[in-house]
Amino acid sequence: MEEQFPQEYGPKWSDQRVERMLGALVCGVVGLLLALIVTVFVRAWPSFSHNGLAWFGPGGNVDDQLNAIFLSGQNGLEYVYTFHAWPLIWSTLLITGGAVLISLFSALFVAVFIVEFAPEWMSNVLQPVIRFLASVPSVIYGLIGVVVLVPFIGNHLVTEPQKASVAGVISLTGYSLMAAVLVLTVMIAPLMVSIFSDGLRAVKPGWLEGSLALGVNRWRTTWKIGVRSARPAIVAGTVLAVARAIGEAVMLAMISGSVGFAPNPADGLIFVYEPSRPLAPTIVKNIDQLSSPPANATLFAIAAVLLFSAATFSLTGYFARRAMRKYGTA
Amino acid sequence: MRTKTLAIAAISLLGLAAPASAGAVTLIGSGSVAAQPVLQALFATYSKQVNKKVHFVYTPNGGNAGVKDVQNGTSQFAGQARTPLPSDAGTTYIKFFLDGLCLDVNPKNPLSNITIQQTHDIYRGLITNWSQVGSSLGTTIDPVGRDTNGGTYNFFLQAVLNNEPPASNVNALTADGLVVNAVKQDPNAIGYAGLAWQKKGLKTLKVNGVPCAAKKISVEPLKYPLSRYIFLVLPGDGSTSPKALLKFIDWARRSKLAGTVISKAGGVPAFNKK
Repeated sequence: MEEQFPQEYGPKWSDQRVERMLGALVCGVVGLLLALIVTVFVRAWPSFSHNGLAWFGPGGNVDDQLNAIFLSGQNGLEYVYTFHAWPLIWSTLLITGGAVLISLFSALFVAVFIVEFAPEWMSNVLQPVIRFLASVPSVIYGLIGVVVLVPFIGNHLVTEPQKASVAGVISLTGYSLMAAVLVLTVMIAPLMVSIFSDGLRAVKPGWLEGSLALGVNRWRTTWKIGVRSARPAIVAGTVLAVARAIGEAVMLAMISGSVGFAPNPADGLIFVYEPSRPLAPTIVKNIDQLSSPPANATLFAIAAVLLFSAATFSLTGYFARRAMRKYGTA
Repeated sequence: MRTKTLAIAAISLLGLAAPASAGAVTLIGSGSVAAQPVLQALFATYSKQVNKKVHFVYTPNGGNAGVKDVQNGTSQFAGQARTPLPSDAGTTYIKFFLDGLCLDVNPKNPLSNITIQQTHDIYRGLITNWSQVGSSLGTTIDPVGRDTNGGTYNFFLQAVLNNEPPASNVNALTADGLVVNAVKQDPNAIGYAGLAWQKKGLKTLKVNGVPCAAKKISVEPLKYPLSRYIFLVLPGDGSTSPKALLKFIDWARRSKLAGTVISKAGGVPAFNKK
């Protein structure tokens, strides 16, 4: 039978064709990714080379620096590159860290509840709801933040003496660390819950049954066997959530406040009401300054830092998962 | 078989595109976001009622970016909310219509009049309490403004702040709508927005005693202090632009119909027949 088909139309060739086409596609995607990374870093280089490590440090008012950088390119003066991004980095760390910390604990308990304790009808309802929440576009969370949470904090939580104590420096109007952390938590927690619960469900039933058979109670079994063996999934979910939180721009540009101010924990309770602006929203807010070459380099430098931290997180996650592979599959 | 399907698909796609290119002129513009509502209303009326063969594409990417587009030829015209600067070489500014920048507070604020100097001091962080401008509110002022992307920001900077940057306590928001929203929700806020935004839930202040209202908006002579022209920017001396565009500009500046369109969309006609 086989001789009747010319070689190039045979099943063998079609197999090879699929293989080569998919291979070419993958190569194309990897090539694009490399091109992206190279472009970002090449464009960012002037900003890094002028500032050195001081780029990451504190010093001066970051908004004035951005303005001076933009104007020097716009008005054809000698280019200014001086930029100390610490307030932006600090704000990113605080908001991302706070949100990931809160959602890590809450998501873990919610996932445990859904998988191990909730009655079946309840987890059947919760499961799709959480998946839906995880896919809601961030701008919708931003809108809710602007319309509901920000005015609530500004009008009901912040008191007049608190506002007066920082008057002229920053405004405590509700655009705050607290609003940003809360909304970001709501945004990333569903993502974590859905990955955690997949991990918990993948724990080998025999392990849990064995523990129960030995007379260990249900909570202890879940905590010591279930959660422990789902650790790779917990790491994976956390890494994904951190990556989404660091890169979140639109929602944070709407509610975190707009000044390059570094909230100071030494200020006491006011600290959580203080406005700040993380790295990603800084790019959004200054996007029309791209026409000025030094501003262009500075914004790309911010992008490079974001890209680098995202890459670092996914690598860390990869190695952490590999190290934990012995605990279970996920 | 496959080639046939592809050919049919390609032809039907062309078919979709065809009506737009049949003897019609498409004019491409970009620029001011502040001018966008009025410009879009003018475009729509012109394409529907005056010359059905002329169509407009307008990208609101900010006045400064729009002028750059005109300089390098990617746009045939630009909307612009500020006066010409040296960096605009090789373009012509045409006064198009008038707009007023209003200062707004929350309706709960008893204040009704403010001076340019007081506004300057508030946005520079020198005045921080409502009692300092004569409002019985007595609370800390929450100044709200636009971020640097806005042409409105540039105008405010020139007209009120003498080109000094706003203080760090000014909350810079990304859109005029967000500024209005912030003032509506916060009894202690003050913000600025164009005439078109003056709706319920805001209290529009008199500036130096002059109300921010369409009949007081005038640059020559200056009546309301924050009056401004919205310009259309053309390449060169303006004579090289397509005839269709020049005809539209003439219609928009002079005709009575255009005048009503402009005032309905929130602008103030400057030269139109009454």
